[in-house]
Amino acid sequence: MKRILINLLLMVLAFTIQTCVFPMIPFLSASPNLLLILTFSFGFIHGSQAGMFYGLFAGLLLDLFYSGPFGFYMLIFIYMGYMNGICTQYYYEDYITLPLILCVLNELAYNLYMYVFRFLIRGKLDLFYYFRNIMVPEIIFSVVTTLFIYRLFLFASRWLEELEKRRDTTIV
Amino acid sequence: METKRSKYLLIGLTVICILLIGITSFKDGIMEPLRTGVGYFLVPLQTGVNSVGRGVYTELKDYSKLKNALEENERLKDEVARLTEENNRLQQEQFELARLRELYELDQEYMQYETIGARVIAKDSGDWFQVFRVNKGSADGVEVDDNVIAGGGLVGIVTDVGANYATVRSIIDDSSRVSAMTIQSGDRCIIAGDLTLFEEGRLRITDIAKTGEIKDGDRIVTSNISSKFLPGILVGYAADVTMDPKRLTQSGYLIPVADFDNLQEVLIIRGTKYTGEEEGEGAGA
Repeated sequence: MKRILINLLLMVLAFTIQTCVFPMIPFLSASPNLLLILTFSFGFIHGSQAGMFYGLFAGLLLDLFYSGPFGFYMLIFIYMGYMNGICTQYYYEDYITLPLILCVLNELAYNLYMYVFRFLIRGKLDLFYYFRNIMVPEIIFSVVTTLFIYRLFLFASRWLEELEKRRDTTIV
Repeated sequence: METKRSKYLLIGLTVICILLIGITSFKDGIMEPLRTGVGYFLVPLQTGVNSVGRGVYTELKDYSKLKNALEENERLKDEVARLTEENNRLQQEQFELARLRELYELDQEYMQYETIGARVIAKDSGDWFQVFRVNKGSADGVEVDDNVIAGGGLVGIVTDVGANYATVRSIIDDSSRVSAMTIQSGDRCIIAGDLTLFEEGRLRITDIAKTGEIKDGDRIVTSNISSKFLPGILVGYAADVTMDPKRLTQSGYLIPVADFDNLQEVLIIRGTKYTGEEEGEGAGA
């Protein structure tokens, strides 16, 4: 229970930083997608089902923030949590290469989803331009951020798990 | 067992999401209570984080500003002298204008809109959309479709309102379309946001009639036939207007007046446009 609460708080914090702090930094032409990083990390570490619920809440936050059709972000984030959960069998502590590859794949999928449903649908066909100017910078920023965040997140998750275990043993 | 259950869950959630997307695409506003509810909790947090971030940033900026300030001071003194002179002249013209307006019984209310000042507290961090959130909402009298201005120019339009926040779509957003006209010739055009022009700080002007006379540097204001934008708000200046290949319309670029890079305070114009459809356009048709 406590773990869920702390994870939710972390998510809200990431969301706040993403929408309130990053855009205020003027020299940053692109910014990392923190919620995306957290979602796929969570799915990767904790498995499909947990990842799915994490994605549900992350998507919900974004849907509440934007005024488009409701559920647009929820859908992609749920799938992101689920798909990365499948990779959990290759999960191995302190192994950073796979998370980085996952980050690139997830960012690509997310940005293509944005492009197809919000731009291509309105007849904007210049995919290459969007790819070069919007997707690539965001992917690079996100990968760099993953390097730091993933370790931090892993550490926090492990710490929370231990905390729970310790409490269980004291009860027994 | 576990995987099977999560597969069912995934399918269930997917169906729910698609249903939600479908419903809200047709009927906006169903999620309003939820948005407002979460807003009560989230907006104070966003405001807090935002002001901390802004504090740090302004500290850093102040120092570099000081260096420029002295130099700027000199320049500004010259400008003040020039402007005082110009102001005197304009004042005379203002009197003359007032007199003439009375004479022609022109609508004096034209440009006098009531505004609410608001602070930008959150922005979309990705580059796909240009939307931001301000800290005033329906409790302060903001409504959906209210026009938003800053720095003397049009910034955007309110798309979504909660009790204590409002979401604004900028005119530089890729899906934004504003009906506009030139002050000089009164030619109408459409100002369209375009993500591919965003980096250059430009917008697109389209649908100018082929006989229209829009020249570089012409002032473009919101048109009086727009259904959502109040008339006569300055948007920007025209640039590079050329004839389209099909020679039916002209198009060009617009350099906006408002500075979208560091938007911090905006003014929301109270009251959406009253189109008077029942009497005006209806009767004419």
